[in-house]
Amino acid sequence: MDSTRGRYEQLLQDLRAQYRPQREWIERQGLLLIIGHFLSGVAAGTWVFALAFQFVGGALAAYVLALLSGLAHLLFLGRPSRFWRMWHARTAWIARGFIGLNLFIVGGFFALLPHVVAGAPWGANSWLSWAGNVVAMAGAVMMLLYKGFVYSSSIGIPFWNSPILPALYVAYGLRGGVAMLLVVIALFQPTFHPANLELIELWIGASALVMILFYLGVISGANPVARQSVHELLNGRVSISFYVGTLVVGLLAPIAMGILGMMSPLSMGGLAILGLTSVIGDFFVKYSIAKAGIYLPLTQAPRLRTV
Amino acid sequence: MRWGMVIDLKRCIGCYGCQLSCKAEHGTPPGVFFARVLKHEEGTYPTVSMIFLPVLCFHCEEPPCEEVCPTGATAKSEADGVVAVDADICVGCRACMMACPYGARYFNDENRHYFPNNGATPYEQMRVQRHQEGVVMKCDFCRERTAQGKEPACVANCPTVARYFGDLDDPRSQVSHLIKERGGYTLHPELGTGPSVYYLPP
Repeated sequence: MDSTRGRYEQLLQDLRAQYRPQREWIERQGLLLIIGHFLSGVAAGTWVFALAFQFVGGALAAYVLALLSGLAHLLFLGRPSRFWRMWHARTAWIARGFIGLNLFIVGGFFALLPHVVAGAPWGANSWLSWAGNVVAMAGAVMMLLYKGFVYSSSIGIPFWNSPILPALYVAYGLRGGVAMLLVVIALFQPTFHPANLELIELWIGASALVMILFYLGVISGANPVARQSVHELLNGRVSISFYVGTLVVGLLAPIAMGILGMMSPLSMGGLAILGLTSVIGDFFVKYSIAKAGIYLPLTQAPRLRTV
Repeated sequence: MRWGMVIDLKRCIGCYGCQLSCKAEHGTPPGVFFARVLKHEEGTYPTVSMIFLPVLCFHCEEPPCEEVCPTGATAKSEADGVVAVDADICVGCRACMMACPYGARYFNDENRHYFPNNGATPYEQMRVQRHQEGVVMKCDFCRERTAQGKEPACVANCPTVARYFGDLDDPRSQVSHLIKERGGYTLHPELGTGPSVYYLPP
């Protein structure tokens, strides 16, 4: 009863506010969407690099993450039983993401089964496995791409309405993939160590840092509402998760460890921590960007301000 | 044909009649306002003025909410230009709420009622049957009323006659005439959404 009353008061307070924060995609059930976005990005990135390094363990981890991502998305929906209706992909990026996830799950099944089940009806080198790989890769690419476009097509929230955001989300998805591979290798297959994995992680981490600073710089000059969101991120209600989760844990710590790793090779524990901090950062960048979203205020419409 | 509305800010006195009549008509849950009135202070002392801005769904010509809907639940009618949500198809992803630059959409996560200690009133019990949980809801220009030849509730109940409703495609309609004669404008035209709700300057 109290929670209902509290939610009502919150709704009214938001409607009265000059800058109304978006809450549907971050609070309560909305957090599941951010978790779903995070998991799908990491799953796609992990799949891409697992394939590049021919690492079946990584591909399996990617598949499990994609399944969990699908589950988180389903639980987020107000009407999960209607999920099968999300096929309007002509204009809707959410539908494209849904199709991508489905392609990945179906293709990944055909690609992975012969690797993990002895005596599977088709072999690892069969055309079915090969076709599964192609379909899963197409799905992974769609999963990497769709999130950024879902946000950037939300014109009600100026902070998200930027063409840089899709690039940032792709970079973070790939980085999350490398990081997840490092964790899987350290935990389950310490003998496997593909060349230059830490270097790739360091390079994508540094690129992500540059990209996020560039994004914040550009978007803060876009309009007063986006500037207010940047203010929330740097100096407001989102600042702790941004500074601690995104910057320190997610970017500075892995970059520092990556540089250390270039001087002397990191232990397996070090690799796992490097991967884990990067993955945590990947989550918090999505969390912080979503939470900093503010609706375009109607009372700031250009004509009104002149009356 | 394209239904549209003109709101005369010179006549609006901020009485909330539109907001209340909408609530009575649609029985929307607490915190949901298909029509609402924003109050905004302009200027600094001693030249301060208060602006009353009644807002609702603007039934855009190019609705961004329709574009992002993954199920096609949000659709713009070819017949009358009304943007409506089909509650039987909506999956509750809330992408339309993020896309709408006018904050006109609400997510009905649970059927709340106004007197939580006493349970739902008979009126609220009736209203619950009309509103599905877990879907997005919004103004539909009172489709049930317009189908019967009536004006939307907010228009019919405005005590100062600040609201006008009519066909924007008809150059002889009152709404088209008012927009032309009084310099009607829309909110955030820079977004290119083409709202069907116009304001007349105060």
